[in-house]
Parts: sequence; C-alpha cells; structure tokens
Amino acid sequence: MKKIIVENLKYKYPLTESLALDNLSFEVEQGEFIGIIGANASGKSTLCQSIVGLVPHFYKGAYGGTVIVDGLKVMDHAVSDIALKVGIVFQNPFNQVTGSKLTVLEEIAFGLENIGVPQTEMLERIETVLELLNIAPYRERHPFDLSGGQMQRMAIASIIAMKPNIIVLDEPTSQLDPEGAEEVFQAIHRLSEQGITVIMVEHKMEKIAHYCNRVMLLQKGKMIDFDTPEKIFSRDDLETYGVTAPVYTRVCKALDLKIPGTDYYPVTLEQASRVLGGKIK
Amino acid sequence: MKSISLYTDRKSVLHSLDPINKLYYIAFAIFIPIILPSIEISLACVALSFTLLISGKVFTKTMPAFGVVLFTLLTVILIQGLFRPGNATILFQAGPFTMYREGLLYASILSLRVINIVSSFMILVLTTSPSDLVDSLVRKGMSPRIGYVISSVFQIIPEMMAAMETITDAQRARGMETEGNLRVRIRAFFPLLGPVVLGSLINTKERAMALEVRGFNAKSPKTYLLDQKQYRFSTVIQWGILFVIGCAIVWRLAS
Repeated sequence: MKKIIVENLKYKYPLTESLALDNLSFEVEQGEFIGIIGANASGKSTLCQSIVGLVPHFYKGAYGGTVIVDGLKVMDHAVSDIALKVGIVFQNPFNQVTGSKLTVLEEIAFGLENIGVPQTEMLERIETVLELLNIAPYRERHPFDLSGGQMQRMAIASIIAMKPNIIVLDEPTSQLDPEGAEEVFQAIHRLSEQGITVIMVEHKMEKIAHYCNRVMLLQKGKMIDFDTPEKIFSRDDLETYGVTAPVYTRVCKALDLKIPGTDYYPVTLEQASRVLGGKIK
Repeated sequence: MKSISLYTDRKSVLHSLDPINKLYYIAFAIFIPIILPSIEISLACVALSFTLLISGKVFTKTMPAFGVVLFTLLTVILIQGLFRPGNATILFQAGPFTMYREGLLYASILSLRVINIVSSFMILVLTTSPSDLVDSLVRKGMSPRIGYVISSVFQIIPEMMAAMETITDAQRARGMETEGNLRVRIRAFFPLLGPVVLGSLINTKERAMALEVRGFNAKSPKTYLLDQKQYRFSTVIQWGILFVIGCAIVWRLAS
C-alpha cells in the first residue's frame, strides 16, 4: 500500500527567488524506512515539512503539484488533520517542548489532549510510548530538566503517542552526543519494526546505510536519485552532491571490493566484513 | 529550574482553595469599598485581606510589593492633605505647609482601597500556582490558546534568561567588558540584543511548528490527562461573595 505519493511537487518560500523543491515525484510504500541525504540547502527539511503540511500551510508561498499522505491531499487539509496521519520530529529537542507542562507525562499528553483522546486511552498510550522510548523513569521530571537525548526521545514519544502511520524525522540526532544519538536510533528502529513508515533526514551516513531501505539524494531541490543504499553510495559522483559515503564503502572502494554478484560496494559493517573476511586475518 | 512565578508553596487552607474563588475575592476587594465608601468598611476589608494573607503564611512575601505601593501612596497623602480643594479644617502646620483634615481623610480612604486591591491580588498570586489557575480557567471555558500563552510565559522566560546569560558569558570570554559603571553596562547590552532577539524569533517559529503538528489548532473538543482538581466549598464561597456584594448594593441604595 502506498503511504506517500508525491507528484511534480514544486515549492517556493515567500520572498525568495529560487525553488526550494523542484519537480519532485516519488512514492513510498507502507513500512519503508527512507533516508533523505544531500548538502545544506538541498531541500531536505522543506521536503519533510511538505509531507506534514507545514509547507504550504504554515509558511504560505508558491506551491505546485500534489502530495497525498495516507489518502489525504495535503493541500486541502489542515495541519491538525494531517497530524493524525503523520508526525514530525525536529532537529532541536529544546524547541519542541511546549513549555506549558510541568512533567514529562503531561508533556506527552499535550498532543493527545488537543486531539481529544479519552483519558483512559491517553494513559495507556503514554505508558506504551514511555516504555518504547525508554523514558519511563523520568515520567515525573520537569521537561526542561532532561538531557538532550532524553528530551529528544520525549519529543518522539509525544509524536508517537498520537499514533501516526508515518513519522518524519528531520535530523533528530544532530544536536545529541553519540550515546544520545544511538538511543534515538534504536528507538526509531523499534518503531520501524512495528510497521510505521519512517522518513529520516540524517547526516550520519553509516546510520542511513544501516537502517534505510531506500535513500533519496537531493541537490538544490531536485531529486538526483532514489534507490537502495548500496546503489546510492556506490555512485562515483557522490562527492559532487556534498555527500560522503559510509566509511565501510570508502574502504571497500579503495580496495575495489564489491558485494559478490553485484556492481555495488558494501555500505554496512556486516557487508564489509563479509567481503573483507577472507582477505584480512 | 528557576521560576519567575511568585507562588509560594505552603500548606494552608488558602492554598487548597479553587483559584476561581480568589478571582471572586479580587472582585469583592475592588467593589465593596467603592459601593460602601466609608472608612470603617475599607478598614474592615483591609483587615480581612491581611488576615487571609497571614492565614496563608505568605504575609512577609507581600512586603516588597507593599514597599512600592506605600511609597506611591505617601505622595497621594501629602498632595491631598496639603492641596485638596475643599480643605478647611486645619490639622497641623509645619513651616509653610498646612495639613488639612478633609484631604487626609480622603487620601486615607483612597490608600486603603489601593492596599486592599493589592492584597487581594497578592492572595491570588502568592497562594496559587499559575498552572492551577490556568487549568481552572480553561476548564471554565477560557480559550486553551490564551491558557497556553499564560502558562508558557512562566517557563519560557526563565529559559530565555538562561540563554541570555550564556551569551553574556560567551561575549565576556571574548574580552567584552560587561561589568562596571552604567555606561559600560549599557554598552554591553546592545551586542546582546541581536543574538537574544533573533534567537528567540527562530525558537518561536520552531516551537509554533512543533505545537501545530501536535494538534494545537485541532477543532475537536479537548480532553484532559489529569482529573480536575477537587476543591471544597467553592460554590459556597463564590455565592457567599456574590451575596455580600449584593447586600452591599442594597444597603447603599436603601441608605
């Protein structure tokens, strides 16, 4: 089942000259884990926001083409309606705290209260996400007193509690230390295993290669390629798009070792060690 | 976390009352001395407010506020006592200045009213946590957006102040003078404005988006995670206050 259908999407922010998104067309199946990569200002965040409806509803600006998310045409629905289908987590955990709640528990409940979930179901959902994201011990803490990683997991929990079928993550770990980032990745991985469609912008290519089914490469608002991590990271022109392949790919490329039977280089540690296994003792 | 709220957490009957009651009391403290403008009634009201503040164990916390208020009222007393038109009965003379009885009486009534209103607000502010007040009001039908604005101010302003301190430290680390006489301090203030103001604008945009995707503007009726706090005697207190105000109006009209 197709969860996201984008056709000829064009978008220009107000008061700017060039297109932020230039004629994008693609489809995403249910349960896929999609990575979006590209240099700065290549349109990654704008694309994320166009899926949840912040583009065009929050920013206005010039909009063309169609985006259909789980059967809803984004252009014709309010962000609060689309929010029931797709959730988004932003880069800075700090700015996602509402600032009006006194405990983690109430903070997660904020979205549920707004969409009118009955109290008993609310409590159940909150318990589930607290466990899922491993933040149950902090339930009574003040939201601003959490560490960056905990705060970001709380932000993800707040979105997951609203039970979207799709979750969009815009550089969710860029402001976190390695430990905090790993906690977040594992949490997202668990969600993906539960069948939630995940779309993630991320600069840590090893992680993208490890978790994603398909990777989208963007440059200046245009889609350059949208394929498996192996194909994307084996491209010879990757550097010209401001992307560095995972370290495993670079090592194997230098040694000219491809995955047996294919034309592509290994992108994960497992693939690389299998290829290198016989050579390095 | 630092707090800018004046709320003082104590155990008292006043703390356990419905915040709405305290709003009724503010109305009471404003209207009764106006409806019944005698100095005895005003004195009685002030005495009642002070008793409530003492029973809430927060009387000492009101001192800074009263310091400012009393200073202002002193000027009122002087000007009314010395220059009020209609001053006739001389109370005492100090050099070229004459203090009159009528002016002094009028100024005392005015002062008592102000003190009474200030104390009633102090009762609300010192004995009610802002989140409880907002919660009560939203459940009574106030827009959740206004509720959000009120309760977020109490958390986001301290966060902004913390950010400002970090920026000041960073600028000091690069050799900017931030301490010393007034001129130095004023000059140190301007480079702060850029990062703090622009930073807050960007943060506000991001927070607005984060709220938006969590259904802040959803049309469906809101539900609540926590049960409404159970307050006792609310109906009795509120109707009691309204009854007393009603009686005061009747008494004024009859006499």
